[in-house]
Amino acid sequence: MSAPAPRPVSDGAALRAALRDTGVRPWPVIRATLAGTMALGSAVGLAAVAAWLIARAAQMPSPADVALAATTVRFFGISRGLFRYLERLASHDTALRGVVTLRERAYARLAGASADRVLGLRRGDIVARMGADLDAVGDAVVRAIIPLGVAVTVSAISVGIVTAILPLAGLVLAACILLAGIVPAVLTARSARIAARVGTSARAEVSAAALSAMDGAVEHRVWGTSAAAAEELRTADREAERAEELAARPTAWAAGAQALFSGLALVGLVALGVLAVRSGDVDGPWAAVVALLPLAAFEAVGAVPTAVMQLYRSAAAARRLAELETPADAAAIRPEEASPASSTPTLVLDGLSAAWPGMAPTRPVSATVPPGGVLAVVGRSGIGKTTLLTTLAGALPPVGGAVRLDGDPVGPADTGAVVAMTAEDAHVFGTTVLENLRVARGDVSTDEAWEALELVGLAGWVRGLPDGLDTELGSGGRTVSGGERRRLLLARAALAPAPVHLIDEPAEHLDESGAAALRAMVARMRAEGRSVVIVTHDLGLLDVADTVVSLDD
Amino acid sequence: MRPLDPRLIRRIGPARRYILVTAGLGFLTALLILVQALLIARLLAPVLSPAPLSDDGLRWWGWLVAEPARELAVGLAWLGAVVAARTAVAWLQERLAHRAGVRVISEMREMVVAHVAGLGPRWNASGRTADVVTLVTRGLDDLLPYFVRYLPQLALAVTVTPVMIVVVLGLDWLSAVIVVATLPLVPLFMVLVGLLTRERSARHLEAMQRLGTRTLDLIEGIPTLKALGRERGPAERVRRLGDAQRKATMGSLRIAFLSGMVLELLTTLAVAIVAVTMGFRLIHGDIGVETALAVLVLAPEVYLPVRNVGTHFHASADGLAAADAAFALVDDADPAGARRSLGAAPALTGATVRVSSLDVLTPDGARLAPARLTFEARPGKVTALRGPNGEGKSTALLAITGLLRPDGGTVAVGGVDVLTDDAAVELNGWLAQVAWVPQRPDLGVEGRTLSLGMRQRVALSRAFDSGRPLVLLDEPTAHLDRGARAEVIDRIRALADRGATVVVATHEDEVLAAADAVVDVVGAAVASEEAS
Repeated sequence: MSAPAPRPVSDGAALRAALRDTGVRPWPVIRATLAGTMALGSAVGLAAVAAWLIARAAQMPSPADVALAATTVRFFGISRGLFRYLERLASHDTALRGVVTLRERAYARLAGASADRVLGLRRGDIVARMGADLDAVGDAVVRAIIPLGVAVTVSAISVGIVTAILPLAGLVLAACILLAGIVPAVLTARSARIAARVGTSARAEVSAAALSAMDGAVEHRVWGTSAAAAEELRTADREAERAEELAARPTAWAAGAQALFSGLALVGLVALGVLAVRSGDVDGPWAAVVALLPLAAFEAVGAVPTAVMQLYRSAAAARRLAELETPADAAAIRPEEASPASSTPTLVLDGLSAAWPGMAPTRPVSATVPPGGVLAVVGRSGIGKTTLLTTLAGALPPVGGAVRLDGDPVGPADTGAVVAMTAEDAHVFGTTVLENLRVARGDVSTDEAWEALELVGLAGWVRGLPDGLDTELGSGGRTVSGGERRRLLLARAALAPAPVHLIDEPAEHLDESGAAALRAMVARMRAEGRSVVIVTHDLGLLDVADTVVSLDD
Repeated sequence: MRPLDPRLIRRIGPARRYILVTAGLGFLTALLILVQALLIARLLAPVLSPAPLSDDGLRWWGWLVAEPARELAVGLAWLGAVVAARTAVAWLQERLAHRAGVRVISEMREMVVAHVAGLGPRWNASGRTADVVTLVTRGLDDLLPYFVRYLPQLALAVTVTPVMIVVVLGLDWLSAVIVVATLPLVPLFMVLVGLLTRERSARHLEAMQRLGTRTLDLIEGIPTLKALGRERGPAERVRRLGDAQRKATMGSLRIAFLSGMVLELLTTLAVAIVAVTMGFRLIHGDIGVETALAVLVLAPEVYLPVRNVGTHFHASADGLAAADAAFALVDDADPAGARRSLGAAPALTGATVRVSSLDVLTPDGARLAPARLTFEARPGKVTALRGPNGEGKSTALLAITGLLRPDGGTVAVGGVDVLTDDAAVELNGWLAQVAWVPQRPDLGVEGRTLSLGMRQRVALSRAFDSGRPLVLLDEPTAHLDRGARAEVIDRIRALADRGATVVVATHEDEVLAAADAVVDVVGAAVASEEAS
């Protein structure tokens, strides 16, 4: 049984799926589009009525004849700002609701994914990027779908007005607006494709060169290669500039095309307007509407390139999200909160060898941990101790040998429920001390919390915190030192109900209080008849173990 | 945040040139818009006027677009030429903007990386390089919209807007008064709205960011939750946090969009008022139709760049913030600090290097690792530094390279101090005699495709073949198999036999066995009264 490969998905399909996942209904989008239409439509209306008003006034009628037009112009002068405000509120609210739903689903899917996929989350800035990607899907609604909708409706209104006055002019305007929308859209799409094809690898080169120049700086100084490292970055930069250059060419043509087609519409409609008055087909005021409308009618299609760019960006974000969220591993699905096993099973490592895909497997080890037993795993850094623990937890299938709990092979369903694990880099959540302990078990009482903190020697520290157990920790709260963090994690482990606990000690030197906390925790587990497997570098701690296995050859 | 960072202009050549060119193109655009408006007035006036036009409605601006343009053929030809020119300017502006944008970004990137590379090993060990890479890649890339969208609009706002006001003033002073009276209201009201709502929106922003961080925090914690079998519970919490964040965000947007609304309201309303006022004056014959048409077309152009600056500012704020962070990083005083010079580096060939009481504080300042390290490395001998991880073996080697300034103690050659906590010999001369191989050699380009073990072997070969008299090796056998390990140990011996001074940090018995002297490296907690 291996990890399911990421689903191959096209960007477009990923975006459609992601937008479905946002649960955004059509009506709020239509409402926002209508408000946007009213806003930009007001600009068109203002231009049209003002043109009529000026041309009609030039015929020196009585003021009453232009009173309605004057009021309408003022109305459009106010309505544009108002409706734009309403549109922005409506579109952002719709998108935000969508992102909230999408986030919840993304969380649920990740939580349900097989453990070996999830453990990859610890690497790099995947999570930070995921936040940005989720927002980018929401941006597709605000910055692409609604503006495109508005471009269509407002353009239709403009063409409708002109057609009603002078059908031929309407035809010219329709053709120019279509071209001013479609040509830049095609060119922008082309630019986005080029950027995705050439730009991504060029950017990766730049990142690698920048990282090497900084991380290897001392080496470069010693060996006199600093200039070469700087040169390497410069070369990568030039390459990235060339890639940008290729992608920028179509967008420049897109900008030119917009100016060209809106200009052509102006020339055409001025000519047709003037000719229509001369031939007596149309009155002066209506001809003025035809001639001056192109000045306002192209604002809506002007948003098309940005919208197309946003669609590409959102689609790429949606694809990254889809790759992150592989379908849940059937065996890992637990319908509800795992109920811990009541009695401690005997854990047997039978010629066990562990490895992540593509890694060299660890040396085969065998050991038996009876209920209440303590096994220590030692070995130098990088030998695969953490990988071995992950396999013991059932989150990673063994590459050789077997792990058995009371004779049955361990599996993903056992992870957390029967075999819990405290990783070296286990997470301290940005919430209170108490809530951080309740991560182990939802119903930890304050008495139990204090008892566990006492066990690991943290009670004094927590009493000294401003709000005691209710002090916020982590991001946005109080920062926790390395030693405090380790002991807090041990307190959490002591509260976890699973009968077997795996503890991955960090590579750094464990200070005295940390070692004491570990001893206390192991003693407590042993007294409760639970089993512990620890990975450690500190050979002075080995006396807590009944059995020691080494991964060194 | 300032719309134009003066440091960009002062220090980045391409940015300066681009701003000048953009301003020039802005003037050209202003001229083209002006001519286009005057042409429209010329072309439409004859057919809209009830009586033949007697005087020139464009007044002094008539010299720019002469009366013959009232002829359809002449006027349209000119209008076509203006459209062609505007197309060309739009194309050129976009081209130049992209080119300048990517050049500026590259230059800033190279500037930051060069600066950080010079900051020394202590900074490297602080783990901030990953953040800097993010800043100089994705962060600075956000400057592109600033250069491509925002700066050109800013250039137009300072060129087109004043030009149009002057022109309108020449055509019809009353309309110019309306325009000039409303224009200052735009920034005034935006500032007022901003001031009135600042506290509220700051509060919303803070709430928004806190909630966003918490949600990501939960996602980041999934592996931990899963390891404890508790990953199902928080889905509901993600939803609640998200809803709270949406409410906070909408609260801040309701306020933030207000200033946008004021902007749109004032500018559109001013255009409407200009149009209506001119309408009634036309009826009374106070203004000519040619003049009125020109003003009608020009009035929105006064406001357009101002509005666009507002629209694009938001998109460029991220890039400006990244540029600010980049400049701040470069301007940050060198934490390694300048060291007093102890003159030229002595020749190291055949010299004994004596390390006395070497102290180096760990980054958190809680421990000394190494603490009071004292040993002698003799030429022709292999000296091994032994000790558990984190006691300061690698740090000691770095201090001997001279690139890491110790917090106490000295390194001396032939009884003369060469490196102390506040002084050093000329480093280039010193480094040219030192071969150093770190635990994870980088090797630059050629190293990229090699495995860690291969990189280590290449880096060791370079050190063995360099002929440098002082050789510092950090865990030289860590990533090697048994055969390669024996070979490396042989070569270390051979190196010493040729007379080199070799210092090896290791915890491998085979290496320790091959050493002539073994020194134990131990750290120590900083004395308790100093610890927090």
